[in-house]
Formats: sequence, C-alpha cells, structure tokens
Amino acid sequence: MSTAISTMRHVRGFDVVRPLSVVALLAIMLPLVLLPLLSIFIFGTSKGLGTFWAALTAPEATFAMQLSLFTSFWATVFNVFFGLFAAYVLSRYDFYGRNAIIVTISLPTAIPTAVAGFALLLLWGPYGVLGRLLAPHGIQLMFTAWAIILANIFVTFPLAFGVIKPVFDTMSRSLEEASATIGATRWQTFWHVTLPSLRGAIVTGALLTFARAVGEFGSTILVSGNLAMRTQTAPLYIFAKFNEGQVEAANAVAIVLALFSFFIFSVLFFARDWLEAD
Amino acid sequence: MQAEKAKANEPNQTDAPPRASEQNGPDEARAPSAAQTTPEVAAHIVGLSKSFKGTQVLDDVTFDVAEGESLVLLGASGSGKTTILRIIAGLEEPNTGRIVLHGRDVTELPARERGVGVIFQDYALFPRMTVEKNISYGLRIRKRPRKEIKETVARLLTLVKLEEHRKKYPAQLSGGQQQRVAIARTLAYQPQVLLFDEPFGALDAQTRVRLRREIRALLREIKVPAIFITHDQEEALELGDRIAVLHSGRLEQIGTPDEVYNRPETEYVATFLGAANLLVGVVYHGAVEIGTAAIPARAETERFRDGQSVKLVFRPEDVVLSETGTLPEGVRRLTNGIIEEINFVGAYERLTLRLDLIARQTQAEEPPLYNVTINTLDRRIGVPIIVTRPKPDANVARLQVGLRVAVGLKLFRVLPNFTLASERGSKSVDMRG
Repeated sequence: MSTAISTMRHVRGFDVVRPLSVVALLAIMLPLVLLPLLSIFIFGTSKGLGTFWAALTAPEATFAMQLSLFTSFWATVFNVFFGLFAAYVLSRYDFYGRNAIIVTISLPTAIPTAVAGFALLLLWGPYGVLGRLLAPHGIQLMFTAWAIILANIFVTFPLAFGVIKPVFDTMSRSLEEASATIGATRWQTFWHVTLPSLRGAIVTGALLTFARAVGEFGSTILVSGNLAMRTQTAPLYIFAKFNEGQVEAANAVAIVLALFSFFIFSVLFFARDWLEAD
Repeated sequence: MQAEKAKANEPNQTDAPPRASEQNGPDEARAPSAAQTTPEVAAHIVGLSKSFKGTQVLDDVTFDVAEGESLVLLGASGSGKTTILRIIAGLEEPNTGRIVLHGRDVTELPARERGVGVIFQDYALFPRMTVEKNISYGLRIRKRPRKEIKETVARLLTLVKLEEHRKKYPAQLSGGQQQRVAIARTLAYQPQVLLFDEPFGALDAQTRVRLRREIRALLREIKVPAIFITHDQEEALELGDRIAVLHSGRLEQIGTPDEVYNRPETEYVATFLGAANLLVGVVYHGAVEIGTAAIPARAETERFRDGQSVKLVFRPEDVVLSETGTLPEGVRRLTNGIIEEINFVGAYERLTLRLDLIARQTQAEEPPLYNVTINTLDRRIGVPIIVTRPKPDANVARLQVGLRVAVGLKLFRVLPNFTLASERGSKSVDMRG
C-alpha cells in the first residue's frame, strides 16, 4: 500500500492567479516608479554624452553638487555622533521623561520639511528669536551653508539614532559587564567592546542620514535663499534649471543624484549581512 | 539607588563585625594566591542583604571561601544566587554587608578594581576579537609590555588547550571552547577569585558532564578559589568542595557535598538535593514516633524535647527492605510496608511503598491523621514513601507488588517540624546540634 502511495504523483492544476498577480504588480509599478527613473536616463543621454558631460561640468552644477556633499557630510557627522550619544544615554539610563525625549528625537520625521525650514527661519532669521541676538554681531546663519547644515540636521535628526538605539537595546549587557570585571574603564569598554558591536549600525545610520540629506529640498529652499554659486545645493539646482527651461542641465545633475541613491541603496542592501553581523 | 562608589576602601559604616582579615593591608591583597602559606580565607562574604523594589532578595548571607576552594551556590531560580555573584563581582551593590577579598574590603570598589574573574553564562566573549585578543584584553587595557602579553597568552592557550584556535573568532568555536576562552581571559590578569554564573546552562547534557570534569581538573591545576552558581544539584555535588544551599535569599546550609546530602539541616536542603522522604513524627524517649511506628534515634533526638513535633527525613537509597523481617546490622527498623509499585529506572529499581503507620481504619467523622488517600483497598492505606535499590540488590532479592516487607533505615535525619514560617525563620532550634 505504501508503495502505491509513493509512486502516485500529484499533478497540480495550472494556477492562473500566480502569473496574473505578478504581471499586475509590475504593471502598477511601471508608471509609478520604474518609468520615471528610466526617463531621466533616457532623456539625459538623448542628446549625446557630450551634452550630458558639459551640463554636468558647468561651474554652477559642480558647485551645487559639492555644496550638497559638504553640507550633508557635516550634518551626517553631527547626527551620527548625536545619535550614538542619545542612544547610549537613553538605553543605559532610566529616568523620568525618557520616553518624552525618545519621541521628541523622532519627531522631525513627522514634520513636513517646509515647516522645518520655516521654523529654522523663525528662530535664526534676522528677526528670529535667536537670530535677532546674533544680528548685531554681524552673524547671519540663514542663507549660508550653515543654514543648509542646520536644515539637514533637523530633517535627518532621528535617522542614525533610530538605527543605533535598537542595537544598543538588544546588545547583551554581559559584554560590557565582562569588560568591567576584567578591569576596563567605562571609556575603554565603550571603545573596545561597545563601539565595535555598533559598527554596522553606525555605517547604516550614516548612509541613511547622508542619502536623505543630499536629497533634501523642502527645508533647504527656505533657509538657503537658493543663491547660485553660494547656497544652491544639487536638488535646488535641478529645480532652478528646470524653471529656467534648461532641462539638460537639470537632467544631468538629476542623473548623478539618482545614481548616488542607487549606490547607497545597494550598499545597504548587499552589505546588510556584514553590517548586521552581531 | 545607585550610590556613589567611594574610591578608597575605607571600612566605613559597616554593619558586619570587624574581621581579623580586614587588618591586612591592600598590598597583600594583590599578591597571587600561591604566595600564601597557610590555608587562608580567600573571600569573606559578610551579612549580605539586598532588596529590589521592596522585595528582599538576599537576607543576611554570610560565608567564606577558602584559598583554592571551589564553592557552589546552589538554589532554585529566585533564590538570590545570581545576585550574590553580581555583588561579589561589583556589578550590583548590596544594601548591607561587606565583601572582603584576600583581606581587602572591596565593597565600595567598582567592578574593574576588584580583580575578580567572572565567567558569564553566555561567556560574554568579545565577538569582534580573536581568541588571542580576547585572552589578552585584560593585559592590553592594563598597558602591559607586549612581551609579557605574548607570553601570558601563549601559556594560557596551552593551559586551556586552544593553541590551534588562537586566530579564530568566538562564533567559530564550540560552547566548551568558548567557555575555556572565557576562563583563560580572566586568568590572564590573575583574578583573586573566579565566579562562574551557571557555567553549563547553555550546553547539552553530555557536554555538560564532560566540561565540568574539565573545569574541576583545571581549577585543581591553577588553584584559584572559585564560586559556582547552579540550580543543578548533581552539578553542585560534583563541582563543589563545599555547597551553599540558598532558599529565598537565605543561606540554608553550607557544607561538603557529603554533609549537605547526607546530613541536611533543613527540609528544603533535604528535598532540593535529590529525592527525600519526609514523615511527620513526635519525639518520645529517644525515639521518633510516627503513627504506630517508632524508630530508635537517641543521638538524633538529643536536641529535641519529648513531645516535640519533628520530621524524619531519609533518602530513597537509605531504605532497606526485608521480606523476612531481619535487617542487617546498623539498620534501624521503622515499620512494615506494602509494595505498591515497582519501576526499573536504568541502573536502579524504584519502589513505592505504603508504610503501616495507622493501626486501625479511621472512622467516617474522624479527621484523618495523615494526608493519606483512603479507599476501600487495604493496600491504599498508609503513608507512601519512595525506595530505590541498586540493580544487584534488586536482582538478589526480587520483590513483587503487594508484598508486605519490613522497612529499615540505614541513615536518616530528624529535623524540627516548623509549622509556621515565622518559627522557621527565627530558627528557634539550633539546627547545627
């Protein structure tokens, strides 16, 4: 009897739903995500690589991209250090109001970027609460690279923290306790034991922050003043050139930004195992 | 809660009586154990009490660990054993009590200044460091010369037999190997005492047995005093030179494995370390009367007065059964019993007996004298006990269910029968008698 069962072969009927649902999925994604991305590459290269290259190496374009990298870099440095510090304090110590702080740190994700830029203007602008105090000393933060960094810090504030904090929380306390009993100071323990375990989280957090900061538009356009060769970041450059009708110029920088995000995405995607190892 | 830790080891505001060993200077404390000539006390744990959020987890725990000795803290979960270990290591602060290691009061010192080696249950090896780096960590943070580090690591790798794994990462090692790395890592800085937190908890049964023999051998070689924490009584009996049995934050008994197993001082110790039969009786003229039965126990009942309620405690393997009624020399007759059940459990045979302790059938309205399931069958009457016999004995004298046999005891303990927890707590009877 058992042989009869084992030789019987179950032939399953052709399942129509499977290919149909896959096709439907792609059909929805195509106009919404895939085609827009594809079109910047098609359009950007349609007039030849020479035009593309010329548009890309225009002084205004290179300046905008450099400014974006510069401001994003410093915003990232700040937010990674801050995220590390905040995660350490908030996962190691329990105190009254701890959850309130955690919620506050996460708040900037929920605030529209234009509101964030506007708020910064109200605080640091020439007539702002703090800006008014600085203005007599000739210090003007708004409409400079500083303003862009501040805006970037604001909108990417919770990203690094959000990645580092869970790792802190789940990290076995016995590692740090072992280090302490072996004779290490708090600083030695942090440097030799805690930090290496956070390596992946720090890299992930930094990449997320940087990618988000490079693409920031809403808050930047308010606080920077969008001055070409002075406070114009890459996304602002795309916006400005498109408005001026210079579509090729806008498109060249758009391609670079898109490729840059692909790069960061692939690092996060493919290096995940390495980043998340213990 | 987290009080500032004083930097100096001032023996201030101590609740414990001053000990002679506290007079020793701190210089001596760092000296390796080998330098001491007399069998000295390596660790004094005096009057430890601790409560977490209003719950008392430790209540006046005091014990000593001798030089080179291994002591096992045995207790169920929640008995406070882990808290004791963490307090000794400096990872937790006691409410009262002192920790004195090699004559130095370390109670106010942070963990890193205590020179205590902790082998954590999960070993807590640094995942990003190789075996070598893990072992040398204690020396590297102490900024020792490179040559010394190299020599020490080489010596320890040989000691724990991991020479060929020196370049591996912890994740590439087996549980037992990881544990040996953890031990070597603490030995590198010559700890004053080694603390093992449930060292075999994460291992399978077979590895467990093998590893505890390895560790026992290793400890004999290095002669560092060790405190083990376990809830496994078999492990405790095998690992400990002495065993301290903890129960709800109290030290129930401390003694050699033989003492705590064969001469338990409390009912908890008797039942926690292996199986034990307990019978409630009354002391009368140098004997313990249990129902209609009486067992002569002059020496054992000396500390009790006549009429005092006691518990007779004996191990299943200390029961001798005889079909003929004649018992070997040194075995004291308790009563007769009917064999209710026989099970073969590998190396030995386990029997359930009903002891004849009641002379007559109880009346319907009369409250039962013992908590006995009484039904119509004759063999259901009586107090059940568990008896084990080694296979050879079982083969020589085969017994059947339903057989009535004479029951004698080779060894038993008479313990006070505290009916109220408060009586038990105050220890109104000197149990060390």
